[in-house]
Amino acid sequence: MKTRATVSLILAAALSLASCAHHKPPETPPGNPPGEPPPPPPEPGDVPAVPLKEPPPMQLVVQARGDTPIVSLRLVFHTGSIDDPKGKEGLTALTAKLMAEGGTQRLTAAQLLEALYPMAAELKVFTDKEMTTLSGRVHQDFLPAFLLLFTDTLLQPRFDPAEFERLRANALNAVRNGLRSEDDETLGKVGLDALLYAGHPYAHFTGGTVQGLQSLTLEDVKAHARRVFTQDRLVIGLAGPVDANLQQTLTSRLGALPAKGAPRVELPTVKSSAGRTLILQKPTLSTAVSMGFVTPMRRGNPDFFPVAFALSNLGEHRQFIGVLFNELREQRGLNYGDYAYAEHFIEDRGNGTFNRTNLVRTQQDVSLWLRPVVPANGVFATRGAVFFLERMSKEPLTQERFDLVRGFLQGYTRLWEQTDQRRLGYAIDSLYYGTPNFLEAYREALTQMTPQSVQAAVKRQLAPEKLAFVFVTEDAQGLAQKLKSGEPSPITYASPKPPELLKLDELIIQQKLPVRPDAIQVLPAAQFMER
Amino acid sequence: MRRLLPLLLLLLMPVLPASAEPPPDASRFFPYTLNTTRLPNGLTVVRVPFNSPGIVAYVTAVRVGSRNEVEPGRTGFAHFFEHMMFKGTKANPEGQRERILGGFGFDDNAFTTDDITVYQVYGPTAGLEKLIALEADRFQNLEYSEPAFQTEALAVLGEYHKNAAGPDLKLEEALAKTAFKRHTYQHTTLGFYEDIQAMPKAYAYSRSFFERWYTPANTTLFIVGDFNDAQVVAQVTKAYGGWQRQPTSVIIPTEPEQTSARSVHVDWPQPTQPRHVLAWHSPAARADTPDAAIQSILAEYLVGDTSPAYKELVLEKQYVESLDASTTPHRDPYLFLIDATLQDEQHRAAVDAVLRREVTAVTGAPVDPVRLRAIQDHLRYGLLMDMETPRDVAIDLALYAGVMGRPDALASYLKQLGSVTPQQLTLFARKYLKDTNLTVLTLTPKAVAAGGTP
Repeated sequence: MKTRATVSLILAAALSLASCAHHKPPETPPGNPPGEPPPPPPEPGDVPAVPLKEPPPMQLVVQARGDTPIVSLRLVFHTGSIDDPKGKEGLTALTAKLMAEGGTQRLTAAQLLEALYPMAAELKVFTDKEMTTLSGRVHQDFLPAFLLLFTDTLLQPRFDPAEFERLRANALNAVRNGLRSEDDETLGKVGLDALLYAGHPYAHFTGGTVQGLQSLTLEDVKAHARRVFTQDRLVIGLAGPVDANLQQTLTSRLGALPAKGAPRVELPTVKSSAGRTLILQKPTLSTAVSMGFVTPMRRGNPDFFPVAFALSNLGEHRQFIGVLFNELREQRGLNYGDYAYAEHFIEDRGNGTFNRTNLVRTQQDVSLWLRPVVPANGVFATRGAVFFLERMSKEPLTQERFDLVRGFLQGYTRLWEQTDQRRLGYAIDSLYYGTPNFLEAYREALTQMTPQSVQAAVKRQLAPEKLAFVFVTEDAQGLAQKLKSGEPSPITYASPKPPELLKLDELIIQQKLPVRPDAIQVLPAAQFMER
Repeated sequence: MRRLLPLLLLLLMPVLPASAEPPPDASRFFPYTLNTTRLPNGLTVVRVPFNSPGIVAYVTAVRVGSRNEVEPGRTGFAHFFEHMMFKGTKANPEGQRERILGGFGFDDNAFTTDDITVYQVYGPTAGLEKLIALEADRFQNLEYSEPAFQTEALAVLGEYHKNAAGPDLKLEEALAKTAFKRHTYQHTTLGFYEDIQAMPKAYAYSRSFFERWYTPANTTLFIVGDFNDAQVVAQVTKAYGGWQRQPTSVIIPTEPEQTSARSVHVDWPQPTQPRHVLAWHSPAARADTPDAAIQSILAEYLVGDTSPAYKELVLEKQYVESLDASTTPHRDPYLFLIDATLQDEQHRAAVDAVLRREVTAVTGAPVDPVRLRAIQDHLRYGLLMDMETPRDVAIDLALYAGVMGRPDALASYLKQLGSVTPQQLTLFARKYLKDTNLTVLTLTPKAVAAGGTP
């Protein structure tokens, strides 16, 4: 694959960021009725949409290696839940699912399963806000047969009415039961999306809303497939025992997709949610906590690596060396784990505890995640997280701590690229962000950082005042009251604690939470993502 | 039903004929070579070269799980103890491990099942020597204070809370309690809630738990990836050589044969889908019998993606959202179970009838050899495809070895997958999938959500 020079890309990213820093108030659109006030100028904390790079139609990314018999295919379409029309939330994800699972013109859904079965081939689809990834893995013993099935799902989907109904019923279950009731942690995270992106196309659950899903018709799905699964939105990834013939066959088959899709959705500026709180109320033993803010800082921004470093120091997902994990879980026994993220995070299940690839987003978010705590400690734990976040801007890391985190990331980031699908994923992400060899660049950047440069980036990018908060708990009113009052949240422990911990607690129990008392919303979980 | 060997015998049995063993054939479905050494203290060390430049997986399987929790009030202890293994030693006090391994970028974690506890470390080969020293130290010299123990018990409680939001934990608890009357499989790996709440008081017991189960003969190391074999063997031999703890005899109660059908119902107070689970007692997974392979294949035959039941219930009638059969290998006789997630309560009887019809069919009519062959391919190619990284290989090896007690158990399981016959499936179904051996578990949502439903 031919990539452009790193320097020019970094420069381009810097320029585009510079232009948003001096963002002019949008002009009144032509034809605006006289007398209607122009939209307000952007306020501090607002994050405008700086378009991603657009790879040429059907750009091919090939990572051939002969030491595996498994061929990996990864088709990444620049379409996601932002393409769901208003009132039809869930359309893109359901369309993708129906194409991948619902059979082809040649084969019913049952026959497709039957054909894939002896190959144990993988054919998976994942829809995010802006990207939909269709991934396939197959042993080379079955490659020709698999290739036909894989491409037929896109080129000749069956759009079977019964499969449409089945998959829609499953999608509704996923909202009504899976999201609202069975997993407080995911509910908190999806709640944070809804809060941070209120009024923005990222706000609704990727899997859809109840009323959105109910309103869909098979005709909607058919039309949508032609609008978004198109050549101009597609990047093709291939890895494993890949030869020229395979590249040729695949690209020529996919050449039968519609050349051009619907015009891109224009993403609006995300308004600041600083200080807002959403409490999702449901019967539960514990309180789940997510907090975060939308940021203009995405891969390619000069602050991205030092901020990722700082948040890794605070808590790399499900790793033991983070500050939050050690302070909140190990020392205080508050819960099962506490972590921080420099960009939107969805665990790549089955691949360790790493972030998924191809969650490319125009507007990114920084977040902190506390696994459920006993309700009595909800506010204390939240204060603790904010305290340790804020501390990173007040004082630089000690050299010893800095060296530890740097060593960690030098090694740990290598684990992110140990499978063909993940390597393809990173390479494809880089096309959209303009960040070639992203992980190598990260490791290179680590060698240039200092505790001071990290602290400076933290000060620029991670002000705790930007945070918004989501809680999932039973006693929502009680929690809202505590948050409004701003009173200290003392804590008692069942076992003796060292004096230095208790001293730190004195600060934590009165840590100022950037919560606006007038912006606390309580919503029964049973109503969440209804429309 | 197969009788259990007394546990002491199992522990004292040589894990394998040690260094005389030729390396098993690198088969088509497991193209890796196992180099196995048994140290004089009984620790088995398996090394597997894997093309992952500069990266290694270091996985330790201890044959202890919730199965070993024999004392009342101590359920969940194997899992809790897994947490305590990260709490340090005299030479490497709490936090030191994280500083050393963290500095290399190792991914350091662990998990516990009904039968085994698996410690998995994955990262740069550059840190392997230090990792070996740390691992050898904690398995021999673990030391933690009572307050640290009490604090960690709260993290386990947090883990319970995290899992308690969905119905699965409650389902597992109800099934275990009903299907087992004596064997320790009657509680889940996480343990009873009241036992977890009482954990902070069990410091002394935790020490005896370590002495009892963390012994070299009860442990196998799997080192997979890019490393110098001779060097690693020398380092491991030196570091673990002084580990001399002896196994203790603890009898795991034998489950008496079930003689009549059982059932248990759960009302779930929140929105979820109805569940319908059929579970029959089934034989243990062993390296010297085909029972594990037969159960994996039979599960696919009855409810896999290409089974008549799946086509009818999931695709055609759409009474069922998902249909799974759990056949996780177990060291002692466990359960062969089919788990249907229903779209609606009103279809329960119809779903039950189809599942029972399919079970009856497999006991009465000949098994379709074409489907059997497709299932064998599906399972073997599936396993091969799942092993993408050195960690995948090490964990798969550890899971089978830990349950079956032989380091090459995965290879023998794979071999048996390929040789199961139609007749074996029929005979197995006749013997075990009968009504007197069945527990039916049902769950119905009784939603009274706070704040009301729109």
